[in-house]
Order: sequence, then structure tokens, then C-alpha cells
Amino acid sequence: MAEAERIDPRLMREGRRSRGALYTSIGLGLVSGWAVIAQAVCLAQIINGISFRHLPPAALAPWFYTLAALFLARAGLAYGAEITAFRAAAAIKTDLRRRVLERLFARGPVPAADEASAGIAATLLEGVEGLEPYFSRYMPQMALCVAVPLAILALVFPLDVYSGLILLVAGPLVPVFMVFVGYKAEAINQRQWDKLLRLSTHFLDVLQGLTTLKLFGRAREEIAIAARISDDYRRTTMAGLRVAFLTSAVLEFFASLAIALVAVLFGARLIHGHITFYPAFLVLLLAPEYFVPLRGLSVHYHARMTAIAAARRIFALLDADVPAPGSVILPKLSQIGLRCAGVSFSYGGAMVLDGLDAEFPAGKITAIVGASGAGKTTLARLLLKFASPQAGRITINGTDDLAALAPEAWWAMLAWVPQNPRLFHGTIADNLRLGRPEATDAELREAARLARALDFIEATPQGFATPVGDLGAGLSGGQIQRIALARAYLKDPALLILDEATANLDPASEADILDAISEIARRKTVIVIAHRLAVAARADQVLVLQDGRIAEAGTHAALLAGHGPYRALAQAYGEVPCAL
Amino acid sequence: MRALIRLAGLFRPFRGWMLGGLALSSLTILANFWLMTLSGWFLAAAAITGLAGYAAQNAFNFFSPAAGVRFFATLRVGSRYAERLVTHEATFRLLARLRVWFYATLEPLAPAALQGFRSSDLLSRLVADIDTLNLFYLRVYVPVLSAIIATLIMTGFFALFSVQAALILLAGLVVTGALTPYLTGRAGRAAGRDVVRETAALRGEYVDAVLGMGELLTYGAAPALLARAARGNTRLLAAQAHLAKISGAGMAASGLTTNFALLAVTLAAGGKVAAGHLGTADLPLLALGTAAAFEAVAPLPAAFQYLGQILEAAQRIFAIADLPPAVPPLASPAPVLEHFALVLDDVSLRYAPGMAQALRGISLTIPEGGRTGITGPTGAGKSTLINLLLRFHEYQTGHASFGGHDLRTYDSAAMARYVTIISQRSHLFHTTIRDNLLLADGAATEAQMWQALEVAQLAGFVRAQPRGLDTMVGETGARLSGGQARRVALARAVLRPTPWLILDEPTEGLDATTEQDFLRDLAPLLEGRTVLCITHRAAPLALMQQVYALNEGRLVA
Ligand SMILES: Nc1ncnc2c1ncn2[C@@H]1O[C@H](COP(=O)(O)OP(=O)(O)OP(=O)(O)O)[C@@H](O)[C@H]1O
Ligand SMILES: Nc1ncnc2c1ncn2[C@@H]1O[C@H](COP(=O)(O)OP(=O)(O)OP(=O)(O)O)[C@@H](O)[C@H]1O
Ligand SMILES: [Mg+2]
Ligand SMILES: [Mg+2]
Repeated sequence: MAEAERIDPRLMREGRRSRGALYTSIGLGLVSGWAVIAQAVCLAQIINGISFRHLPPAALAPWFYTLAALFLARAGLAYGAEITAFRAAAAIKTDLRRRVLERLFARGPVPAADEASAGIAATLLEGVEGLEPYFSRYMPQMALCVAVPLAILALVFPLDVYSGLILLVAGPLVPVFMVFVGYKAEAINQRQWDKLLRLSTHFLDVLQGLTTLKLFGRAREEIAIAARISDDYRRTTMAGLRVAFLTSAVLEFFASLAIALVAVLFGARLIHGHITFYPAFLVLLLAPEYFVPLRGLSVHYHARMTAIAAARRIFALLDADVPAPGSVILPKLSQIGLRCAGVSFSYGGAMVLDGLDAEFPAGKITAIVGASGAGKTTLARLLLKFASPQAGRITINGTDDLAALAPEAWWAMLAWVPQNPRLFHGTIADNLRLGRPEATDAELREAARLARALDFIEATPQGFATPVGDLGAGLSGGQIQRIALARAYLKDPALLILDEATANLDPASEADILDAISEIARRKTVIVIAHRLAVAARADQVLVLQDGRIAEAGTHAALLAGHGPYRALAQAYGEVPCAL
Repeated sequence: MRALIRLAGLFRPFRGWMLGGLALSSLTILANFWLMTLSGWFLAAAAITGLAGYAAQNAFNFFSPAAGVRFFATLRVGSRYAERLVTHEATFRLLARLRVWFYATLEPLAPAALQGFRSSDLLSRLVADIDTLNLFYLRVYVPVLSAIIATLIMTGFFALFSVQAALILLAGLVVTGALTPYLTGRAGRAAGRDVVRETAALRGEYVDAVLGMGELLTYGAAPALLARAARGNTRLLAAQAHLAKISGAGMAASGLTTNFALLAVTLAAGGKVAAGHLGTADLPLLALGTAAAFEAVAPLPAAFQYLGQILEAAQRIFAIADLPPAVPPLASPAPVLEHFALVLDDVSLRYAPGMAQALRGISLTIPEGGRTGITGPTGAGKSTLINLLLRFHEYQTGHASFGGHDLRTYDSAAMARYVTIISQRSHLFHTTIRDNLLLADGAATEAQMWQALEVAQLAGFVRAQPRGLDTMVGETGARLSGGQARRVALARAVLRPTPWLILDEPTEGLDATTEQDFLRDLAPLLEGRTVLCITHRAAPLALMQQVYALNEGRLVA
């Protein structure tokens, strides 16, 4: 509860964005509440007139007309209330979705590795949607649940003090009781929300890994797991709903009790002629209306709990630390040389890079080799500004500190092919144009040619318009790799960072692609991470990464001649005849 | 409409729950109706008695109507509580059933028939669309049927007093309960469909944003994605705004009909009271009864605007369910095998009509216990051999047999029993290393897991992690290095002692030293098994007894 109290004011602050709609909503609710009261008066007058004053209906025409006018007014108000209720939340929803997404991008891919994409999507869709009732129902209802009952009390007291007292006592029980139940409901709602995120995350994981599951003959077992998860979700949700339903049942019981009490007291007095029909009937018409806003509050209190559970997750995403991005914008460089000095980095556990010094000369190919898990990809992430070194400095062309650069400007100058390139759902052309939507068909073909992808693209019936599935479904491993390369070439960057660029390629294609890289490198700086010596052999410089530092640096030939780790690596290849 | 009938078919096992919810819902409406009619009559009758003097006061039975009011008040509270519990319980049971049913329909379709779908779109179907389908019971089925039941009983009750009042009530209920919902349903159809579609599209953008963030940022494509997401959000909100308008209009219309019906009943009954055809106390009875009767139909206009969403969701769900599987389901159980030789005779495979053949007239025999290597340039059709053998894709011509039986007598579940595969892109699940290993063999002991990790050269790394086997690997293995993720996949395969082992580029992403150590430790485990190894690298090929080369779908050596 303590935490909820911190979330409420924050939600209210978000709500300021649509203050106008909120106030309109409250205003419409108030007018509509008063119209209900006036309507009850008219109806009581009519029925009393006919039944007890024995007037012909025609004599009551003014009351009938007023009643009809009130009905029309209420219809208009109901329509207006729905629309403003929607408007109250629309701006907030848009704004939150945009801000969360921007914040995710600002944090970058390294923290994103700790998030589950389906969980984020569920937070942005179902979670943000879950805030709507908070703004459109709960907040306006809070104002109504004071104003309308008070107006009714003001009318009832002069008519009948006993009934007024009964209502006065029963009314405040509602909020008191709700707070009491609220403690439990909140924890349940939080659990339910967590379960929903887990459910989404699990199902996306299963859908993406369905082929792997089938390969292991485990896909059918997921049916039982899906049943268990859904059942689990049902149980938690029902636990929350049971509390909510019980709350409203108890409230309704109180309300019924109060109304029955009012009715019975009237009945007793009516029999003995201590009171007339009109006030009794009017109060009885008003008594249920007295409880309507209060009952609404209990319904929407549940909406508040749901909203708070979702908001907690939304705010956690919004509050996540974002490294100071740097703001220096370099002019577009044609030559980029990089230097790392004493660079250290860890993901929170052991040091991955530990005081690393390295030099990536402009216009040259530098190969990084090292055991799996040595930190090659991590070093690339630092150069890409996906993460900042915890110690040490990375400088560009000897002067500019990478940490101070605006990331977008830096990314505009480079291209990167990651270890597991991600192709997006769309056509091959869409994927190639990712970085340059305006690229011409001729440029597309040239980039594909450089990446040795043109032949197979043109061999497909649809060519560049061939659809690519999620994660490159429909393409072979090496084809995915070459499309990713072509995408990088198309960008024509000053710095090219290739992480295992020739993975999944046969030696002949690899040699072709290395030729292309050498061709490109006449104008550019290239950093290639590689396990294959064929790649290192073509590089101007080889860096051997070991224990978080550069253990050796030099040309392929020079390092082979030495006695360091590179030679050991080469021997590992040398023991078996290989196609190099 | 056909979709709704199919939906009802899926709900059949929960008939008991569904009918229970319906009965309780009708009971709640009727309890409220009689509570209000009785209260109105009671007050008026008491007032008449009060005016009539002592004799009447003593004759007036005060207690049975008072008890009736209490009874109906309690009944209403109790049955509404029970109704909500039962209908929601039913809803969530239906939800679980639908979800499991949908997954079970989806599973045989993967991977071939689902290739054109984004996994985030499938997720939207599995989670959001199924949720929407479920609204059918709570928002359409229960309110509609209980409204019909209650309408019949309530108008019948009114007819006891005044046929005219009963007819007015019936007309009002039909307008609110049938005409208005029909109109709101029609007006909301397109917007409801848009809500479902835009939600799925947005989910795709959000999932891409997280999983493809590195590429999106470095290619400067993040602003474009943000803009697309913003436009999608705008379209979603526009559709929702449209629905809000319809729901407002529906509410206004149903309120208006309710109130004018009330007015008309009062006028009609008032005339009869004035003419002496109806008792004085019957007027408040009919007036309050009319107001209460409309509670039965009040939710219907709003309910029917969901129909568009429900129909679209149903269509999206059944569109998947109706996809033909790439490989027809087995007519009879797959044969149980003792021998495991694979013989391909002039086999050709084409992924889709109109595409080039990925395998062209392959004839090859892989003897039981043999170790066979496959090489060939990228795109040659090497991985396609796996799709063929695992029955993921159907071959069109030629004859294939496994263990002496036609390959077509197996499905992928049957093949997976005999074959373990390390595929080129193995999926790591967003859980611990332990659970990823258990996937291969649910009964594996801790010792077996460590042994598998030793062979995969990953034991040292796992041991160095503070949480050991319980280290989380991240979504698709994002918290591991590329080679580490590959080695988890290798360890997974090592754990599974099937007669066949297929390795597709097993050591891609590993450095030469690790590769060598892995192959050295793997070699003893290959004894007596049939091994098929697809690779571009020389080291694994050295372990093979025969090596075939593929090029453009043909066997060249
Ligand atoms: N997102 C992450 N969170 C936590 N730890 C990580 C993360 N990414 C990598 N690591 C760890 O950091 C170390 C270095 O990983 P990195 O990916 O840089 O290795 P690598 O040299 O590229 O290896 P490979 O050749 O296998 O790709 C590994 O031990 C890995 O487990
Ligand atoms: N699921 C699929 N749907 C349609 N076409 C496909 C599919 N998978 C592969 N292909 C196509 O079939 C051909 C053979 O692909 P395959 O994956 O068998 O190649 P590969 O020999 O394994 O190549 P690599 O060495 O690059 O992995 C390629 O042209 C590829 O585009
Ligand atoms: Mg790496
Ligand atoms: Mg392949």
C-alpha cells in the first residue's frame, strides 16, 4: 500500500496532461447525477398525482414534459461522458507509449538483453491500456461519489430525517470498507500482472523456439505447460476478482439493507398514516441512486489496482538509468582511427575487459581474434557506444572522446554486422534499405554484388521482393549472413565493424567476401572479429584478445613467427589439414 | 456467423459452467425486477391502508411483503455475487481451453506452414486474440440469452396486470435489446477489426524494437520505428475513439428507450388507474418494474460493439487453424524401428510451388552406424536435407526410406525419437542453462549435465558463474557470448543418446582450440551412432568416414 501511495500521485501527475477532459468528465457526471434527482422528483409527482391525488394524467402534463426533457438531456450527457472518458486517457496513453519506447532506445541494446521483448510489448499494449479506466472512470468517480450523494442527502433530510440518517450512516461505510479490502487486492493484482507478463514472454519464447522444441520432440509437452500456465493465470486472476466481487457484494448488501430499512420504516409509518406517499416514494426512488456512485467507486477501485500494477512496471521502465548520451556532433569523418586506453568493462560480474589498450588505425583492416567468451563482441559493443567503459577512454582520431559524442552522429558514420544478424519481417529489399530507405535499385544491386548475395537473390522468382520471415526464415544460414553484409555495404560507412562476418560461409564464398572487404578497406577502417585465420591472414593487423587485454598485436606473418597465443591458435588449425 | 458457431463448438466441454452462469445471470435480473415491483406495490399499498383507517391497518399483512422485499434483496446480492464468480470462472476456463487448443493446432504447422508469420503476430493471436474471443461468452452469450429469458418472464408478469403495459415493455426491450445492438454492432464492425489488427502490428514493432535494437540504432532506423509505432498508436486510438462514440451512442439510446418506455407505461397504466381498471398500488409496481426490467438489456448495445473485435479475432485464429500442414498428418502410427539406415532415391524437394528446387534428384545411402559429412557452398541445400529427414517439408518426387520404411510413414514427432539435431540456428530459451539442457532430456541428472557441458567445453564457464547451472541465458541467449550460446546447444545434443545425430555447422562461432577440444571429446560419443555432419570447416570433416558434396541441390561428389 505504501508504494501504491507513491504511484497514485504520479499517475495523477500524468493525468494533468488531459485535465480538460477530466474536468469535463466530472462536470458531465455531476449534471447527470443531478438530472437523476430531478427525474425522481418528476416521477414521484406523477405517480403520486395519479394514484393518490386522483388527477387525470393530462393534469400532470408539465411534469411529463419536464421528465421527457430530462430524459433527452441524460441521453446527451451519457454520450458526452463516454467520449470524454475516452479522451481523458487517449493523450496519456500516446504519451506513455512514446516515452517508454524512447527510453528503451536511449538505454541501448545491452540493458535490452535483460528485458523480455514480449514482456515489454505487453506492458506497452495491455499495460498502458490498463491505465485507461483509472483516468476515465476512477478519477472522475472520486469526485462524483462525494457530490451526488451529498445532493441527495440535502433533498432527503427535509423530506424525512430518519431516512436521511440511515443513508448518512451507510454511505461512508463504503470507502472505509474498500480501503480495508484494498490491502489484499493490491498484492493479488500485482501478482496477476506479473503472471500476464510471464505468460506473454513464455509464449513468444515458445513460438520462436517451436522448431527447436520439435527437433527435441518436446513440442507436444508444451501443451501441458500451456495448460498449466493458463490455469495458473486463471487462479491468480480469479483470486483478485473474488476479492473485487466480494467487496461489491458486501457493498450491495449494505446498500440493500439501508434501502430495505428505509422502505420498512416508511411502510410502518404509512400504514399508520404518519406520513404521506409522496415523500416515501421519492426517497425510495433516490435511495438506490445514492449508492450508485459509491458502488461505482468500488468497481473502479479494482480498476485502480490493475492500473497501479501496470503503472509500476511502466514507471520502472521510464525510471531506468540512461547513461549520459554525449552531445558532441562530429562532422562526417571520412577517416576514422580508434584508440582504446586502459579500457575496462564488466556486465556486473567478473571483468570482461580489464585495462585494454588497442589501436585501430584509419583505413586499415584490424582483425580481433581470441577464444570464445574472451570479450571480442564486448569490445565491439564499447566501440559502438552500446555501453560505456567503466574505466579508460576510447578516442577517435586521437582527439575526440567517444564518450562525449552524440550516439546518433556516431552511428551515422559506421556500419555493424552483429554475430547473429537480425533480419526483419519484410522483403529482402526492405531489409537492405534499413539504413538508407532512399537507396536506388542500382545501389541495392551493387551492395548485394559486393556481399556475394546478388546471384542467389536474382535466382529467386521474386528477386529483391522475396519475403523474408522473422529471423530470416526462408533463407539459408549463409544467405542471411550475406544479406546482413550487403545491408552494411549499402550504408557506405567510414567504419565497418564485422562480428564473425564470414560465419556460415563455405571457404570459397568466404574468400570472395574477404576480397570485397579488402576492396572496401582501401577507403575505410574495418574491424573484423573472427575465429578463422583466413580472415586474420588478410588483415593489416591482428589483435589477440586474452584475459581482458590485448595479449599480442601484429601482422599475421609476424605473429605466426612468434611464440605467443596466436601461434598456438594457428597450430590448432594446422594440426588438421584445412582448406585455407 | 460461422466463426461463432465454430467457437461455440470449442466451448462445448464447459457447457455446465456456461449454463450455470446463464441461469444465475437470469436469476439476478429477475430478483432485482421483483424486488423493485414488490417495493413499489408495498409502499403504495401501505399508504392506501394508512388512509383507510384502523380496521384496514389491522387487516393489512405487513410482514409477508416486508419479508418478500428482504428475500429478493438478499437473493439479488447473493445471485449477483455467484453469477460473477461463475461467469468469470467459466471465462477463464474457456480461455485456458482456447489457448491450449490453439497451441495444439499451431504446433503441427511449425515451421513450414508458419514461415510467413511474424512470431510476434502469432503471439498476438495466442494471447490477445484468444482473450478477445473470450469476450464472446461474457459479453455476448450470457447477456443476450439471459435478456431473452428475463424478457419473456417479465413481460408475462406485466401482462397479468395490463396487456398494454406488457406490450409497451416488450417493445422497449426489443428496441434496446435487439435494434440498438444490431446498429452498434454494425457500426463497430470495422473499428473493432482495426483494433485487433493494429494491436498485433504494434506488438510486432515493440518486439522488433527490443530484439533488433542494435541494428535499428546503428542503421538509424530507430526514429522510423518510433514514427511507425506512433502512427500505429494513432490508428489504434482512432479506432478506439470510434468505438467509444458508438458505445456512448448505444448507452444514450438504451437510456432513452428505457426512460420513454417508463413514461409510456406510466401514462398507459395511469389512465387505467384513473379509469378504475387497475388498482392504485399497481401503478408504482409497474413503473418501478419497468425501470428494473431494462437492466436485462442495458449491456447489450455495448456488448455488440465488441462483435467486430470478436469476429476479427475469430477469423485470425481460424485462419491459422485452417492452414494446411506442410506434411499431411499420419493416418496410422509411425513404425517402431530397430534399424536406422537412410536411403534417398532420386529425391527432389521444392519449398513452394514456383520456387526453384532446393534438392534435385538426390540419391544417397547413409548406412546405420556410419559417419557421413556433407559439404557444399552456401545455399546448396545442406540444411534442406534436415528439413526433409525431419518431415518439416514434404518432398515431391523420388523415394525415401528410413529404417526400411517409407519416410512418409513418419511425422516429425516420430523422427525426433530417433534423431538428435543441432540445427544451424538453435534457439535458446529465456530461462536457465539447466532448463535449456533439460529440454534435451527431462530426466538428465546433474552429473550428466555436467558431463555434457564438459564435452561442449562449457563446464569451466558455467562453474565460474555465481549461479552455476541456474545462470539465466537471456532472451534467445542474449546474455551469453555467441560461442557460449552455441556450446549450450552442443551440450543439449550431447545429452540425448538417440541412434542418429545430425550436426549442422556444429562448431560455427567457436575458436579453433575450443573446436578441437570439442571434437576430441565428442568422438567417443559417436561410436555406434549414425552421424550426419554438415559443415564448411575441415576439422569436423576429419571425423567422417564418407563425405558428400552438394551444389545447387545436386550431389556432386
Ligand atoms: N549481456 C550480457 N550480460 C552479461 N554477461 C554477458 C553479456 N554479454 C556477454 N556476456 C559475458 O561476457 C563475456 C564476453 O562475452 P563476448 O560476447 O564479448 O565474447 P566473445 O569474445 O565475443 O565470444 P564469442 O567468440 O563466443 O562470440 C562472456 O563470458 C559472456 O558470458
Ligand atoms: N524454409 C525455407 N523456405 C523457402 N526456401 C528456403 C527455406 N530454407 C531454405 N530455402 C532455400 O533453399 C535453398 C537451400 O537452402 P539450405 O538452407 O538448404 O542451404 P545450405 O546448404 O544449408 O546453406 P548454408 O550453408 O548457407 O546454410 C536456398 O536457396 C534457400 O534460400
Ligand atoms: Mg562474440
Ligand atoms: Mg544451412
